[in-house]
Amino acid sequence: MASHFSGVLQLTDLDDFITPSQECVKPVKVEKKHGKSVAKIQIEDDGSYVQVNQDGGKKKLEKAKISLNDCLACSGCITSAESVLITQQSHEELFKVLQKNKASTTEQKVVVVSVSPQSRASLAAHYGLSSSEAGRRLTSFFKGLGVHHVFDTSFSRTFSLLESQREFVKRFQRKDQDNKALPMLTSACPGWICYAEKTHGELILPYISTTRSPQQMMGSLVKGFFAEQQGLHPQQIYHVAVMPCFDKKLEASRSDFYLNKAETREVDCVITSGEVQKMLEEQNVSLNHLEPAALDTLFSNVCGDEFLSHAGSGSGGYLHHVFTYAAKQLFGEEVKDLTYKTMRNKDFQEVTLEKDGVVLLCFASTYGFRNIQNLVQKLKRGKSPYHFVEVMACPSGCLNGGGQVKPEAGHNQKELLQKVEELYKEERSPLPEDNLQVAELYQSWLHSVGEERAKELLHTKYHAVEKMTNGLTMKW
Amino acid sequence: MKEALSLLKRISAHPDSRCWFVSWSPSGTLLASCGGDKAIRIWGREGDSWICKSVLQDGHQRTVRKVAWSPCGNYLASASFDATTCIWKKKEDDFESLTVLEGHENEVKCVAWAPSGNLLATCSRDKSVWVWEVDEEDEYECVTVVNSHTQDVKHVVWHPTQELLASASYDNTICIYKEEDDDWECRATLQGHTSTVWSLSFDATGNRLASCSDDRTVKIWKEFPNESGQSDLSWMCVCTLTGYHGRTVYDVAWCRLTGALATACGDDAVRVFKEDTSGDPDQPVFSLAAQVNKAHSQDVNCVAWNPKEPGLLASCSDNGEIAIWRFQEQ
Repeated sequence: MASHFSGVLQLTDLDDFITPSQECVKPVKVEKKHGKSVAKIQIEDDGSYVQVNQDGGKKKLEKAKISLNDCLACSGCITSAESVLITQQSHEELFKVLQKNKASTTEQKVVVVSVSPQSRASLAAHYGLSSSEAGRRLTSFFKGLGVHHVFDTSFSRTFSLLESQREFVKRFQRKDQDNKALPMLTSACPGWICYAEKTHGELILPYISTTRSPQQMMGSLVKGFFAEQQGLHPQQIYHVAVMPCFDKKLEASRSDFYLNKAETREVDCVITSGEVQKMLEEQNVSLNHLEPAALDTLFSNVCGDEFLSHAGSGSGGYLHHVFTYAAKQLFGEEVKDLTYKTMRNKDFQEVTLEKDGVVLLCFASTYGFRNIQNLVQKLKRGKSPYHFVEVMACPSGCLNGGGQVKPEAGHNQKELLQKVEELYKEERSPLPEDNLQVAELYQSWLHSVGEERAKELLHTKYHAVEKMTNGLTMKW
Repeated sequence: MKEALSLLKRISAHPDSRCWFVSWSPSGTLLASCGGDKAIRIWGREGDSWICKSVLQDGHQRTVRKVAWSPCGNYLASASFDATTCIWKKKEDDFESLTVLEGHENEVKCVAWAPSGNLLATCSRDKSVWVWEVDEEDEYECVTVVNSHTQDVKHVVWHPTQELLASASYDNTICIYKEEDDDWECRATLQGHTSTVWSLSFDATGNRLASCSDDRTVKIWKEFPNESGQSDLSWMCVCTLTGYHGRTVYDVAWCRLTGALATACGDDAVRVFKEDTSGDPDQPVFSLAAQVNKAHSQDVNCVAWNPKEPGLLASCSDNGEIAIWRFQEQ
């Protein structure tokens, strides 16, 4: 099976693409029950295991199941996660929920779909539409299927950018006391996070920004603020994110984003741009022939019926926003245009702020595994000159994510990417600080929940995965 | 047989361990060996005897699988099962550890310097091939990570004059890479071997590549102009040496001075083949020119032609020994 994950994740695998049933080495925790110690285990004709006690009583034994969380916490194979993911997070799951909604009047779920701007641009390129037009028609498509709300993760990204800016300034101010304060490494790319956790652990994790990614910011908004506003239990909402990347499925499955009390995930299911295209094809629908729908303005970064975006890279523009904010806040410098200096290759760029010949800020963006490698090695040797790095696992960043719509037969990947980039950049990008709706949510919602809770809603934690040493993983 | 392979010297290089690989310095005066004892030894000739000039220890925590000299002869790179590659710098008569290249997930199987000396390639059981670039300050940076193989990558070798890289794998294929639009790409996959490809060697011109395999054959591949007009490289197998080797062929070395082809085999033998140069260059014919059956008491892991002295051949074995041979056309 070819893996869909980003190259970074494929590299961390210690083995071939195996499914848990074949070769998973994760020790399964078995609930031991007290009782008579002697019993026989019998295999039935249907393949199920049955325990036969001495008194002849039979009891069907539970199958040991490996969940995605087991996979994520294990340093064995990463790719096992894929088969688990396919069963837990796919567009078929979304269809199932929608069908259940139609079949039952009592157990209705409110279905929310949050679409990323990168996915919108990818589908726009495929169907030859503008990004906003694609967004309006996607809204129409999802609503036609029975989805209740279609939001835009560019809205939640406003929170991610604002929080990143503030986090950076705080880290910069404590850099002399805390040698792990800088460089701040971005955290929106789940492939990078998974790689850092599994391979570099405590050496690298302290540098990673605790700010949530746009997907998980939207998770907080939907299962927190929105649920409360609508008088719904978080479990009554089925939240789907449409993303340019398969690794985002891993992110949604992290235990950090599971609401223990409400027993639900903040994002229940992630489907990729390519999977949305598949859904359209399965329904025999072309975006070109759909009537555009009015946009859900509750959690969407829009002006009228036009979508808005953010300046900077197609991977969220973290470097751009943190740089301009830090220049102003820390040094009183207004930076209008950033000059990106291409370093070793196009996926490794630098931006610096200089005054009187002194470098005040030194930022970089490193995309793709080779550039991540050099960054990590520099950090390990204490030779990194950077204050901030925008790190993405995919070469060319999120617009080139592994989950984006593939070029049609005979078409070139590079040309398609260029088109997607153009469509993405066409959207107007006002400052995140100027988003009144977000400012209002900071005032009302986040202020009311208290500082501690607000931090939980906007930030997250990372966990080093210990290397397994149980010999079972050794292969010769 | 008219030609013969005569033994000049036998050296117990890595006693109680395996000797995995030997490599001649570019000037041909020094021979580096590495082994299961985690050490690298440098050998030099003094009269008729071979003296251990230095021992490079403490660089690696596990087996050292391959060693490679930089084209200038001032650096040595060692690839180890401890997942690292060490770069050693010559300092007078000794070597000091300059840097350790980390990044491979597990065992590094091979390391090779490009002819310019500015690029270094490594490959690993993690299925990837990496290219590193070195700057004037001896700093190494990763230029690319290519995942074209589906299994363990056993060997990497550079074209003698161009920046063209070839790799051999447990997936039975050979990949050829070139830099394209700011990244390295696999431009040709050579299929034909029916089991692990263990080693590769270009001829002096770089137009042909010899490969050896667990399928007990040696294949000769030649580059042809691509008919489709596409930019992809076209390499075709023009000769297969079959029926000579009793077991896995672990190494192949193409002498750049004489054109002789030597092989190291799991049947403990060292063989030398010569090309019949009168034939059709697109259908070359090689014949066995020399064979030493019990060249070593165990598997022969490596053969290496001296780059300056025609016919001088080194081999090494699982029994920890190095043997130095003279191949002479009688």
